[in-house]
Amino acid sequence: MNTVPEDYIIEAQGLSKHFHGFAAVQDVNLKIRRHSIHALIGPNGAGKTTVFNLLTKFLQPTAGTIRFNGRDITNVKPAEIARQGLVRSFQISAVFPRMTVRENVRIALQRKLGTAYHFWKSVSTLSVLDDRVDELLDSVGLRSFADYSAAELPYGRKRVLELATTLALEPEMLLLDEPTSGLGHEDVDRVAALIRKVSANRTVLMVEHNLSVVSSLSDRITVLAAGRILAEGNYETVSRDPRVIEAYIGGTDDE
Amino acid sequence: MMELIGVPPALLMGQLLIGLINGSFYAMLSLGVAIIFGMLRIGNFVHGAQYMMGAFGAWYLVNLPDLFPSLGLPSLGYFWALILVPLAVGAIGALMEWIFIRRVYHLEHAYGLLLTVGLAMVIEGLFNVRYGAAGQQYGVPEFFKGGTNLGFMFLPYYRAWVIVVAIAVCFGTWFLIERTKLGAYLRAATENPDLVRAFGINVPRMLMLTYAFGVGLAGFAGVMAAPIYQVGPQMGQNIIIIIFAVVVIGGIGSIFGAIISGLMLGVIEGLTKVFWPEASSTVIFVIMAIVLVFRPAGLFGKETTAHAVTDLSSGRSGSFLENGRIWFFILAAIGVVLPFTVYPIFAMKILCLALFALAYNLVFGYVGLLAFGHAAFYGTSAYVTAHAAAVWGLPPELCLLLGVVAATAIGALFGALAIRRQGLYFAMITLALAQIVYFYVIQAPWTHGEDGIQNVPRGMLFGLIDLRNSMNMYFVTLVVFLAGFAFVYRIINSPFGQTLKSVRENEPRAISLGYSTNQFKLIAFTLSAMLSGVAGGVKAIVFQIASISDVFFMTSADALLMTLIGGVGTLLGPVVGAAIVVTLQNKLAYFGAWVVVMQGAIFVLCVLFLRKGVVGTLQEFLANREARKRVATEAPAKAETKVAQ
Ligand SMILES: Nc1ncnc2c1ncn2[C@@H]1O[C@H](COP(=O)(O)OP(=O)(O)OP(=O)(O)O)[C@@H](O)[C@H]1O
Ligand SMILES: [Mg+2]
Repeated sequence: MNTVPEDYIIEAQGLSKHFHGFAAVQDVNLKIRRHSIHALIGPNGAGKTTVFNLLTKFLQPTAGTIRFNGRDITNVKPAEIARQGLVRSFQISAVFPRMTVRENVRIALQRKLGTAYHFWKSVSTLSVLDDRVDELLDSVGLRSFADYSAAELPYGRKRVLELATTLALEPEMLLLDEPTSGLGHEDVDRVAALIRKVSANRTVLMVEHNLSVVSSLSDRITVLAAGRILAEGNYETVSRDPRVIEAYIGGTDDE
Repeated sequence: MMELIGVPPALLMGQLLIGLINGSFYAMLSLGVAIIFGMLRIGNFVHGAQYMMGAFGAWYLVNLPDLFPSLGLPSLGYFWALILVPLAVGAIGALMEWIFIRRVYHLEHAYGLLLTVGLAMVIEGLFNVRYGAAGQQYGVPEFFKGGTNLGFMFLPYYRAWVIVVAIAVCFGTWFLIERTKLGAYLRAATENPDLVRAFGINVPRMLMLTYAFGVGLAGFAGVMAAPIYQVGPQMGQNIIIIIFAVVVIGGIGSIFGAIISGLMLGVIEGLTKVFWPEASSTVIFVIMAIVLVFRPAGLFGKETTAHAVTDLSSGRSGSFLENGRIWFFILAAIGVVLPFTVYPIFAMKILCLALFALAYNLVFGYVGLLAFGHAAFYGTSAYVTAHAAAVWGLPPELCLLLGVVAATAIGALFGALAIRRQGLYFAMITLALAQIVYFYVIQAPWTHGEDGIQNVPRGMLFGLIDLRNSMNMYFVTLVVFLAGFAFVYRIINSPFGQTLKSVRENEPRAISLGYSTNQFKLIAFTLSAMLSGVAGGVKAIVFQIASISDVFFMTSADALLMTLIGGVGTLLGPVVGAAIVVTLQNKLAYFGAWVVVMQGAIFVLCVLFLRKGVVGTLQEFLANREARKRVATEAPAKAETKVAQ
């Protein structure tokens, strides 16, 4: 539709969020290139999750505008944003605990079937999705867990299931909030590989504390501290920036 | 003399004064509710009963010589009461906190409300047993006898005193909480309970004192009220619903909002009495509805960001107790035998209420919203159906259809107003909205007030089946019930039901998958209202009456109780719950006024000990047994393989 000279999928301008007078995010300008992996890093409490909440409209910005694919989405509802192809994950694992692994993925698929509101149809009409569900579960290595309830999965698998559910929507862009937090080494590698795999033809914006994951995956990095953008660039530039180092040390001192 | 829009100034000022007095009580009471809610996250439904205890306390003190003639106690007057009673009621509050309330802090907020609803029923029921519904007189204290003529009106001294004291108490409390160190802790706890818990102060004691303080305020208000209103067991019952509406209007978490809204709404209510008397009992609830549309967080409330319903369901999807295809036939078989073992009229009561509870469970169990106003849908349909049959003489199927349409329309409207809110807020809002219907029914001419619509003709169904025959009526009711059961089963096992399940398990996640969750909730809520309408309409035809109790909030509480006893979010729970509750009510009818007490006690016991309900507990038991069996059969199998190796 819109031919932007530099192809940005997301352009946020002057984004701010105040909680009862406290500025959690302040005047953030963020542009994300299409088909890139962009990392958002920063010390605890920097405002990263808040930025995610603003981009996906789980929070209404106090000021600023957000454009997605050239369209202004500043006043769009969160569910509608997901339907436009901008899908987020959550910092704490977000599965449907009492549904099976298969049902978890199917929930994401069934929206496109157009029967989500059909309360008069049998649930068995959803079985047309089974093949696609199995395919997705195969691709993330969860096929053998298909009939377990999500609550029974170990934490690492839960995060993988969450990714599989997100991918079922075939989103144009993913926002991942600390996808590897709380995972053991093996799981971190598994999830990182998965992110790389799915990032083909997609845009990924992720919040991540694990710097080795950040350095190996991301094309570009934005550093946030105390609600403001501190630095932006590739890993090389950012990691040498003295302000970034100081912010991180300051951040750890606080704890 | 100058008249304002045809209203004499004396009348206007008089009503303004009454409004201000009522407003003073609203302010004092909602202040306590707001503090308890903000700090403890308990929707203190028993606040009205505690206020009532305060009034009785004053009455006791004055009548000490008569009550305990042998002890030779003096009669303690008003000023003694003003000091002693709040302390005593506060102490009772502390005791209640210690015995009951603190057991539900860690649970979903809904349970706190349910627990206090039960406690209110017990306390008010006990007073009712002892003193009957009629009120006791408590004279205006000697000191305040008389009044002064202000020229345009006569101002009794006592009323002036109430206003002055109420405002002083409210703003004193506000000052205490907003401006002192003690208040700083409390406020921190109101805004961030978890933080204060981490401070290392004796949090349990602080919570107990806070609760006692809020309850003491209610006791104080009760003493203040004794000389003005009749001292009776029911005096707190209606006011608590108004107080909830006031808190919603003021904005939850805002103490200032509670005070200002209380005073303001009292005045508005008083003015409405002058200009449009019929609307005066509903005006507060209507204002609440309007505020919700334009300022969902309340007039002084803060922006809320929570997007989550709560999953209270105890159903296990694999259990055979959830298999509606089997149970449809089992219930049908039981239903066919039932009228030959018990009175058909009794069986029909179970069926109607079971259908009502099934409908209610759709919202409470499967959406995860604590609705507290389903009597509005049940009762509306009952009245419309009864009216259509009795006055318009329409055939029963058409009457029922009209009733259901009316219930569905009101359900959609109430749902649209309330659906953006969750938890306690949702409960308070639906409760208040239902009160609009209740007061409308009391006042509208066509509903015949306290009498209700009686002698509703049953008529001929489709011109074929004579419903005057009680067996015919029974089997028609059974068919309607089974159809309703099948419909509910289909809803929860449909693509829609799947989505609903995801919403209740993790609403933010469902949103992030692109589901406009509020629309799903609204549809489910409307379907639930519709089914409640079916239940209410059938009830009106079966019992040939639509009565005021059908729209009263105790009917909403009944739906809640049946669902809770049976098992929230289980397929069979509402049916089992209805059977239990109706049987109990029947057996207990002998004890007269004790019924409410026992029902309240059951409420309390269920919340404390049987949160999964009968069916949910059974499902858990079966699942555990199966798990044990599996372990038992797997273990020997492993042993064998070892031997083979
Ligand atoms: N709903 C809210 N109300 C009030 N304050 C909030 C809210 N959400 C976040 N904050 C505050 O905003 C600041 C930024 O929080 P945010 O969760 O965005 O940080 P973060 O960078 O994601 O931190 P972390 O690395 O710990 O996840 C914090 O100080 C937090 O306390
Ligand atoms: Mg975060």
